[in-house]
Amino acid sequence: MTPKTLTLQDLLRTDFAPGGGTQEYFVNMGPQHPATHGVLRLLLKLDGETLRQVIPVLGYIHRGIEKICEHQTYRQIVHLSDRLDYLSALANNWCVTRVVERAAGIETNERIETIRTLMAELERLQSHTLWWGVFGMDLGAFTPFLHGFRDREELTQIFEDTIGARLTMNYIQPGGLLHDLHKDFAPRVRAWLKDFGTKVDEYDRMLSGNLIAQKRLVDIGALSGDEALGLGATGPVLRASGVPWDLRRVRPYGVYDQLDFVVPVGEKGDCWDRYWVRIEEMRQSLALCETLIENIPEGKTMLVKPAAKIRLPEGTFYEELETPRGIFGVHLHSRGKDMPWRFHFRSPNLHNLWCITKIAPGARVADIVAMLAGLDLIVPDMDR
Amino acid sequence: MSWIRLQPQKPGPRRIGGIELQTVSAPRPDSDSLWKVALGGLKGMLGGMKLTLGYVTHPSKVVTQQYPENRETLKLPERARGRLYFVKEENGFHRCTACRICERACPNESIIIHAHKGEVTKKPEIDHYVWRLDTCTFCYACVQTCPFDAIRFDGRFESAVYDRRLLVYNLNDYAGPHDTLARKIEDEEQRASCRTPVRPYEGPVPASGEKLHGIEPLGPPRGEDE
Repeated sequence: MTPKTLTLQDLLRTDFAPGGGTQEYFVNMGPQHPATHGVLRLLLKLDGETLRQVIPVLGYIHRGIEKICEHQTYRQIVHLSDRLDYLSALANNWCVTRVVERAAGIETNERIETIRTLMAELERLQSHTLWWGVFGMDLGAFTPFLHGFRDREELTQIFEDTIGARLTMNYIQPGGLLHDLHKDFAPRVRAWLKDFGTKVDEYDRMLSGNLIAQKRLVDIGALSGDEALGLGATGPVLRASGVPWDLRRVRPYGVYDQLDFVVPVGEKGDCWDRYWVRIEEMRQSLALCETLIENIPEGKTMLVKPAAKIRLPEGTFYEELETPRGIFGVHLHSRGKDMPWRFHFRSPNLHNLWCITKIAPGARVADIVAMLAGLDLIVPDMDR
Repeated sequence: MSWIRLQPQKPGPRRIGGIELQTVSAPRPDSDSLWKVALGGLKGMLGGMKLTLGYVTHPSKVVTQQYPENRETLKLPERARGRLYFVKEENGFHRCTACRICERACPNESIIIHAHKGEVTKKPEIDHYVWRLDTCTFCYACVQTCPFDAIRFDGRFESAVYDRRLLVYNLNDYAGPHDTLARKIEDEEQRASCRTPVRPYEGPVPASGEKLHGIEPLGPPRGEDE
């Protein structure tokens, strides 16, 4: 079930008002629109205020990262991967690291894997708090934006202490971690987790429990499980449609096999389900972080020399993991050199974006903003 | 008419791909009487307003930083990647041996090293350690791979300038041997004369001397030579 592709020429040739009646017209949403979170351009075909068709137009932030990767050593590729989906930088780092480690046969220890898992979960919280704030703002409520960023900022500072960067943190590297944890890391994370437990309830009081917000989300943009699978949607978007596919449970990596958590799923796959799935994921991640922060074993955090060349054997390798937005995969083809011959990212946002072509027709212009916010799109991840 | 109560529904196992997972379902709207819905809506709105007002009346919970008023007290963490600098020994010598490991580790050639063979020491000595902040991605590879701990990042972050050429730095303040090499020079006079001063904006990479309309040509920063 692939989405029908249409060129712009095809569209311009279509009969806008067959047999008289109302005339359909086009409106460009983006590439500079605050609700598209970057440079995503949506071409809307409208009949009055009713959407007939949505055509996403990409290419405004294409940087050719996959091509650049062919001229970078495996250690250098890591820092490019956090320029894709900048809100899940550590998860992207981890995916590149995993494929390189598996291909090169580098074994890691328990401490490295635990810290990686903890960082990925903290980043999920960081990403979802930002999403929640921006979601509120897209719906027209400005206060959630400030609250979301307030909670994110403290976590950003914790990352800054340990990693040194705030947004594009390349911390997880082939063979280990860039730095050991900062001495303030554990106490600060504990304090933040304790504080954040009450903040999620605040989120519920402020936005989830609001009737106006609920009315704008329920039964808007319903996507069935089959459609979501057909479009390649992953992450909370797929789980909201009722498919409990979470790589952390289905194919555990890191130390997820030792952890116990519940996968939140939706029923109808509308905006409300997508919203609630992410809110519940925050609670689950919070519990995971509380377990992980108490159970970090001792050990080394870097097992190979930082300046040593990493050569991969000839072959094709693929690894994937669950970022806050879905399944991020790295597919690399090696010809035995210290640089890949071909490098490809399977990014969750590109696939999640095409859900908009399925769920938007029939809705109103104001609803498309809620749908975009519910899909939680990051544009640099689509275009790469 | 409906209003959603925020409790997870239907906890229980689900099967996918032959694997059993514990899941919970999203709450869905129930059908309620109009009064219940109206009350629920009012409750939701008042709850949100109460929360916001709570923050208004408790200014101690405000977390806003007053930048740039707090510049004196604002300290970035010690691992912050702000500006690259050369580590200097107490005697004023740096540690860079011009081994070019950082140059090779740099993903986009933001580090360019110009070196020559020293007349006295017969070893590579650095002329210009050019660091291009304008193309640097702050990936930390140079500091991580340096075997001599010669370069580090510090927390200086206010790097905005009006001319791109001002972002091309010379990190070394002299051209000459590094600390351990300089210690081996026995002649005191020779050791003192082996260093040639280098200014931050000197070197082959910036188009120094070129004149742009409205921008003064690059030279020593004003105020330093006076």
